Amino acid sequence: MLEFVFLLPIVTGLTAMFVPVALGRGILLIAALLHLQLTAMAWMNKLNPYFPDYFSTSPEGLLILLVTSFIFLFISVYAISYMRETEMQSEHIFISCMLLFLGTMSMVTLSDHPIVLWIAIEATTLVSAPLIFINRSKEALEATWKYVLICSVGIALALLGCFFITLAMDIKDIDASLTFSSLNAVADQLDPNWLKAGFIFIMIGFGTKMGLAPMHTWLPDAHSQAPSPASALLSGALLNCAFLGIYKVHVLMHVAGLGDYSSNILIGFGLVSMFVAGIFILNQPDYKRMLAYSSVENMGVIAIGVGIGGIALYGAILHLIHHSLIKSSLFLSAGNILLGFGTRLVKRTGNLARLFPKTFVAFFAGFAGISGFPPFGIFISELLIIMGAFQRGRYAVLAIFLFCLTLVCAGAARIVMRISFAANTGEDVLVEERMIRILPSYALLLTSIGLCLWMPESIYQIILSTIKVLGGVVHG
Amino acid sequence: MINYSDAVLVIILLSVLIALESNRMVALVKIMGLQGIMVSLVPLFLPQHQELGSGGIIFFQIMILIKGLLIPGLLYFAVQKVAIKREVEPIIGYHASLFVGLMMIMVSLFITEKLQVTLPGGHSLLLITAITTLGAGLFLMMSRTKAITQVIGYLMLENGIYLVGTALSKQSHTRYVVEFGVLLDVLVGVMIMGIILHNINRAFDDVDTALLGRLKD
Repeated sequence: MLEFVFLLPIVTGLTAMFVPVALGRGILLIAALLHLQLTAMAWMNKLNPYFPDYFSTSPEGLLILLVTSFIFLFISVYAISYMRETEMQSEHIFISCMLLFLGTMSMVTLSDHPIVLWIAIEATTLVSAPLIFINRSKEALEATWKYVLICSVGIALALLGCFFITLAMDIKDIDASLTFSSLNAVADQLDPNWLKAGFIFIMIGFGTKMGLAPMHTWLPDAHSQAPSPASALLSGALLNCAFLGIYKVHVLMHVAGLGDYSSNILIGFGLVSMFVAGIFILNQPDYKRMLAYSSVENMGVIAIGVGIGGIALYGAILHLIHHSLIKSSLFLSAGNILLGFGTRLVKRTGNLARLFPKTFVAFFAGFAGISGFPPFGIFISELLIIMGAFQRGRYAVLAIFLFCLTLVCAGAARIVMRISFAANTGEDVLVEERMIRILPSYALLLTSIGLCLWMPESIYQIILSTIKVLGGVVHG
Repeated sequence: MINYSDAVLVIILLSVLIALESNRMVALVKIMGLQGIMVSLVPLFLPQHQELGSGGIIFFQIMILIKGLLIPGLLYFAVQKVAIKREVEPIIGYHASLFVGLMMIMVSLFITEKLQVTLPGGHSLLLITAITTLGAGLFLMMSRTKAITQVIGYLMLENGIYLVGTALSKQSHTRYVVEFGVLLDVLVGVMIMGIILHNINRAFDDVDTALLGRLKD
């Protein structure tokens, strides 16, 4: 039964609310492991949906499910140590919401019905809200309020988009069930005007959740105020899920022969996101906000890659995988820095290389990875997107793309250098680094390197079947 | 003979206008309760819902309970507990808001006329009501300072979207299970917002959104 993939974390999450904290930590870890196993079973086609009208496996969904499940395992190992170190209040709520968050995200990746997809995405907002305001500071409350309100309103507009797509089918009196697979089968008969209207609303709605500018305003606040394991999950897993909603509708548009229209909208939002992120990252005083803006930028990169198509689409899918791995690793390292210095402000940190050598390696390597240096995967994915832009002759897009990449890299480099090497203002180290909070970061980074050297055949095949529908190619 | 569905829709339009003009929090919550009940009644009067299965009956009963009783009840509780001053405190005055509401009806009429060519017929008043409710919800969110009025604006937006959904789609796709999921999301959303509001009130001693301006670039 395919539904076990999301029922398991939801049930264990609800259980964790009512058991002692020590037991809850164990449940978190075991549920993460079991979830990875269920994901593997889903990959091997061993699970059949019990409600095929609502849930089914799709290649893009499976890919995002695997990424989510994989990074969740490492984040949960980190979270256990982090929670012990910070002596978090209401830890059982945190554990419970982490698991519910995993459950709702898995539900997003498996849903085939547009409105069920919508329900799952809205549910991710609701269960992740307690993760952000768990320490109940004024700033955290403000961030949560913005997060819940902006995302709920945005996602409500996406529901309107879903209704428009239904209407596109009803107007032409097509009798098909409302699932993405059957919609794709009858796509060329759908009413194009309503489809276009639907795509715009879905783009704005799920784009809000994905963090595309100008609807990104909640993202830096929520990512900087949430405890680091939660930020890592928000950035590494949640944004992908929102992207999946847009991607599925983009595929529908493409099959309906409106691919150019939706591609141009994707590229437009992508460029605006990259530019806004580049501007705000330049003089950023807060390193967690810097990472959050970097997520906005990378979501822009993915949107542009998908919009360009061809070999750039392959690049975008690779970018999605590697961004999740590297960015969650960076947020985990940032958590160690925050524990060690007790501040989010760059100017009150410094000398990371000497004080926390192991964290420094993870943080600096993560920075190199996210900026697109080899041997990390983002080097390859960005190169593929650039090549794709050349092939399609989109030189203006390419110029802005490269300019924004430079901007972001310069802004981030200044902050990372300052944290790593500048003389410390002489404050004491609050919490020593511990191996258990560093190994997850290392593991995620090494996975990114590993996937560049050798990509398992099954992952490669899934990526191929993901991009086949949109006419993506691997060899340019 | 009175056309019941039109009567219900007119009550919804009036509730939107009264909500834009009301200056007491408690009155606003009561109006939302009325609107919730009316919105849950609309589908019963539409031709595509003539025959209800057992799933449909249960769904509509639960919907009227949630929209008409549970959500307004939660809001009423929140107002009692959170708001020290019971005034709505608008950024845009009541009369101007009312005027905006009336303009919105005009605009909705215009949009509906434009769309009429491609719509299944007979739903024009429903669509006008839906778009007005949707727009008024957005307007209410932007033009009031209290955080709790933003929740009410969100609910009104959601009511509008629900009406658009009932106006436009055939029953065959939107199964009750799916609609129930949407409803549950809204309910849990309001509960979560209520919890955050309660915490904001404890931390700031007020629920004015002007206080929420600490995080900036």
